[in-house]
Amino acid sequence: MIDIRQKLEEIGAFEPHADDGLLVCRCEEVTKGEIRKAVHEGIFTIEEMRRYLRNGMGLCQGQTCGRLVKSIMAAELKETPDYVEPASARAPMRPIEMEILGKDQGGAYE
Amino acid sequence: MDIRRYDMIVIGAGPAGLSAAIEAAKHGVKPIVFDENARPGGQLFKQIHKFFGSKEHKAKIRGFKIGEELLAEAEKFGVEVVLNATVVGLYPDKEVTVKIGDEIQHFKGDSILVATGASENMVNFKGWTLPGVIGAGAAQTMMNLHHILPGKKVLMLGSGNVGLVVSFQLMQAGCEVVALCDAAPRIGGYGVHAAKVARCGVPFYLSHTIIEAEGDEYVTGVTIGEVGPDWKIIPGTKKHFDVDTICLAVGLSPMSQLLDQAGCRMKDTRGGFVPECDAEGQTSVPGIYAAGDVSGIEEASSAMIEGRISGITIAEYLGFAENEEKESRINELEVQLDTLRQGMFAPANRGKKIEKTEEGIAISENLLVKGFVSDEEIGRFPGVTKQRKIHPVMECTQNIPCNPCQDACKRGCISIGSNITSLPVVDKEHECIGCGLCVASCSGQAIFLVEEDVEPGYGEVTMPYEFMPLPVVGEKGIACGRDGRAVCDCEVTKVRTSPAFDHTNLLTIKVPNDMLMKARFYRAKKEAAYD
Amino acid sequence: MGRIENHPILGASPEGKMVTFYYNGEPMEGMEGEPIMAALKVNGVMVHRYTAKTHEPRGVFCAIGRCTDCVMVVDGKPNIRTCITPLKAGMKVETQYGVSAKEA
Repeated sequence: MIDIRQKLEEIGAFEPHADDGLLVCRCEEVTKGEIRKAVHEGIFTIEEMRRYLRNGMGLCQGQTCGRLVKSIMAAELKETPDYVEPASARAPMRPIEMEILGKDQGGAYE
Repeated sequence: MDIRRYDMIVIGAGPAGLSAAIEAAKHGVKPIVFDENARPGGQLFKQIHKFFGSKEHKAKIRGFKIGEELLAEAEKFGVEVVLNATVVGLYPDKEVTVKIGDEIQHFKGDSILVATGASENMVNFKGWTLPGVIGAGAAQTMMNLHHILPGKKVLMLGSGNVGLVVSFQLMQAGCEVVALCDAAPRIGGYGVHAAKVARCGVPFYLSHTIIEAEGDEYVTGVTIGEVGPDWKIIPGTKKHFDVDTICLAVGLSPMSQLLDQAGCRMKDTRGGFVPECDAEGQTSVPGIYAAGDVSGIEEASSAMIEGRISGITIAEYLGFAENEEKESRINELEVQLDTLRQGMFAPANRGKKIEKTEEGIAISENLLVKGFVSDEEIGRFPGVTKQRKIHPVMECTQNIPCNPCQDACKRGCISIGSNITSLPVVDKEHECIGCGLCVASCSGQAIFLVEEDVEPGYGEVTMPYEFMPLPVVGEKGIACGRDGRAVCDCEVTKVRTSPAFDHTNLLTIKVPNDMLMKARFYRAKKEAAYD
Repeated sequence: MGRIENHPILGASPEGKMVTFYYNGEPMEGMEGEPIMAALKVNGVMVHRYTAKTHEPRGVFCAIGRCTDCVMVVDGKPNIRTCITPLKAGMKVETQYGVSAKEA
C-alpha cells in the first residue's frame, strides 16, 4: 500500500511546465497539465485517474492514451512506469452500443 | 440465448491465431477464429516487403503472399473464421462474448487462444491531433489495402523496422519522404532497411524529436530539433520541413486486456503488459493460451511459429494428439523459433550496444546514425570484394538470421553456412555468371553485381529496383551513392524482369570504373540534381 | 487525385464501381465498398470532425477503427468510424461537431 501523504511530500508541490496544455487523451480532451495536477491531488492509479478526469473513458476507451497517461503519472511520481497500477480490464473491450448490451439475454446452456 | 461450445476458440485471425488454428485442425480439433476486422491476416496483408529468415521461415516471400498461403491452408483444414466479430469479454471459465452484427453471442471454449496482437504507441507533441498526423500502420493500411496515397510529403518519426519499412513503402507508392527522425541516438531497425531508404536520398535525423506540427485545419509543416542527453531541445538546432503528413512509428504494445480480464497473471514489462506464460503459451489460467505479439512484440515469422506451438499443445491438451507427437513437433518448432531469435537484433540483445559483428568486424557507426555505410567502411565486410570480372557485392553488414542469397546462387559464389546469422561471404573460387538471382533474392536489397571494364574505362553495376516508372534501356540518368547523393552520370544498359524475381527488377547502369564501388541507386535525369 | 492506379509490387489497383455520395450536402464520387475515409481523402477532405470541448479539427489517425478520431455523422447516425465503414451509393456524410452534425 502506498502512503499517499508521504509520497506527496516526497514529490513536492506541482510546478507548471511549458507543455501542460498538450493533449493526452484525444477523445475526452484531457491535457498533460490536468493529469500532472491530479497526481498532486493524490490520484496515483490509472483507475482513479479515469474516474477523476475522464481520460480513457471516451470512445476509444483508453486504447490511444493509456500508455502515455501511465508514463506521465510515473514521471510525476518520480518512478518507473510499472509503479503505476494499470486500469482494471473490464468488458466490453471495445465500444458497443447500449442497445446491443441491453438486448443480450445472457448465456445459458441448452 | 444459447451458448455454443467449441473445442478451441481463437481470438484474432492474424499470423499467430491462424497458425494455431491450422495446427490444431490438422489433428482433428475444430477451432473457431474470431476477428474484429473485415479481413483476416492481421498485419500480414499490409507487408509488401520480402521477409527475412531462411526457407522454413518463408524467407524472400512477401508478407501478403504469406498471408494468402496461410488463409488457403486455413480453408483447406476447415478452420472456421468469423470476421467483423469483436470479442468484448473473456471470462475465467473460458466463456467468450462476441459482438457480431448488432447482437452479442456467447461461446464457451474447452480451450482459448488469445492472439490479439499489438497496437501502436503514441508520442505527443504540439499539434499531434491535427489531421495529417497518422500512425505508420495507418499509412500502410491506406497504401496497401485501400490503394490511396496517405499524403504527398511525409515526415517519418521512428527508426525501428516499422519506420524504415513504411518509409520505403511510402516512396514505392509515390510519396516523398522528406526526412526520417528519431529521438534515439541510433537507428533501431535493420541496417539494410535503413540503407534502402538512405540511398533514395532521405536524410536521417537521429537524436531529433518533433517540436511542433504546424497547421490550422490540417498539417502544413513540421519543426524538429535535436535533443540533448537531458531530452531538452538544444538551442539553434530547429529544422523545418513543409509536409502534409507526419507518420508515427514509435513502437507497439501488446493488446492484452482480454487476458487480464480472464484473470491471467500479468506482468508489466518494458515491452508492455503481457501475460505470464510458459514456452507453449499456457497462461496461469488452465486452458487459456497466448501467442504472437500479445505475449511479447516480435515479428510475424515468430508469431506463426508460436501459434503452431500453442496449436499442437492445445491439440494434446484436448486429447487429439499424443504427448510424444506433441513433444517432437514442439522440438522441431522451437529450433525454428530459436534460429529467428539470434543475431544483432535478438530479443536477448535488446537495449545493448553491439559494437562488433560475430566475425569481429566493427559495425558501421555511420549506418547506425545516418542510415548508410560510408565508402571508407564498406570494404571491411566479407561480402564486399574487388574483382574485375562480374561478381556479387553484398553490403550485408549486420548479423541477422537470413540466408536466401546462399540458396539463390547455383554456382556456389555465396556462402553463409549453417549459422544463418553469419555475414555472407563471396567465394572467389566459383565463377559468377551474372544471372542476378542473388540480387533479386536479397530481402534487404543489399546485393549488387559489379563488373569492371565492360568497355574501356567503364564498368556496370546491377541493382535491385522496386519503383515505378521502370527505367528503359538507353535512358541516361544520374547514379547516386549510398547516401542518396549524385556521384556521376550514367546510362541504363539492362533492365531485367522475371517472375522468379518477384517484382524486384534488376537495373544495370554503366558508370566510370572508379564509381563502381560508389554507385548504388539510379535517378532519371529530370528528377535528380547534383548538390 | 490521390488514388494509386499502379503499384510496383501490388500491380494494378482493383477497379471498383464509382458511386455518388454526399459530403455536407455536396455530391462527391467514391468507390463503392471502400472505407468512407478513402473516398473523402481522394476528394481532398482532411477534417472529419471538431471536438466537443475545444472545437479542434480531427481526421484519420489509426485507420483501423481503434482511435475513433475519424468519426462522422453518416446517414444521420453520429460516431460512425469512417475508416472501417464501407461507402454506399447515396450515403450522406456530415462533419461531426462534438457529438452531432449541427454546429454546437
